[in-house]
Amino acid sequence: MKVGRAIAGAVLGLLFLLFVAVDLVLFGVVPLNSVVVTILPAIGLVLGAVLGVLAGNRSAQLHTQVQNGSPV
Amino acid sequence: MSRARWLAPAAVMGVVLVAAAGKAAAHVDTTDGCKGSGTFRQSGLAVDAAEIGDKVVVIPRSDTVDWQGSVTAPPGAYSGRISVDLPPPFGALSIDSWKGNSQATSNAGSKTYNLPKLVPAGAEFKVEGTHTDENGFCTGYVNLKIDGGPFDSPLTPVSLVATVASGAGLFGVIRPLFKKVVAA
Repeated sequence: MKVGRAIAGAVLGLLFLLFVAVDLVLFGVVPLNSVVVTILPAIGLVLGAVLGVLAGNRSAQLHTQVQNGSPV
Repeated sequence: MSRARWLAPAAVMGVVLVAAAGKAAAHVDTTDGCKGSGTFRQSGLAVDAAEIGDKVVVIPRSDTVDWQGSVTAPPGAYSGRISVDLPPPFGALSIDSWKGNSQATSNAGSKTYNLPKLVPAGAEFKVEGTHTDENGFCTGYVNLKIDGGPFDSPLTPVSLVATVASGAGLFGVIRPLFKKVVAA
């Protein structure tokens, strides 16, 4: 589950910042040949994976809490 | 292609991209003394490679360009190409090329263009040109934008929807991070 969430986070992070980069180009904020267009999707990939792992851990904690009957 | 295309000035994507004589302009480098310029008929925009500098040239989506160019000596065997600079590491996308043999030192012509709606207006492109002959070479580039707004292209709403959709998906994946864990 943690791995799945990390992969999903990486893929969606990549796509999200890729489209943000495309938006920035389309609105003329950065030129097409800008390195920002390359860096943003890479950041999205890494950041999405890290957030996915953290979210997986938090999800496990929440699941344990529910099993113990504590309020979420 | 005809020998008319041996000079670097080629009207592609609506702009005449030429390499200019001298190194006063930061974006031009030449050893064969080439010069070039172009005038857009409807908009009246005049572009001289030696005077562009690094400023962004805004061109109409469709027009006819009257272009002219020259070199200081008969070029002999020549070749060249024009390309659009892509984000690293993708290099450049070649959009036109030429090669041949000529002894003429100047040339001129007209090019009518009509860019499709898919090419976004407002986005900044760097178009590069290179030309090599027996006397040396010419390289140069021009930063250009197509006149209009971002929503002139159907790509913009598609990209915005994709941004929102992928952002929502990412939020869904990391949603547990926004829930509090109560200490036991």
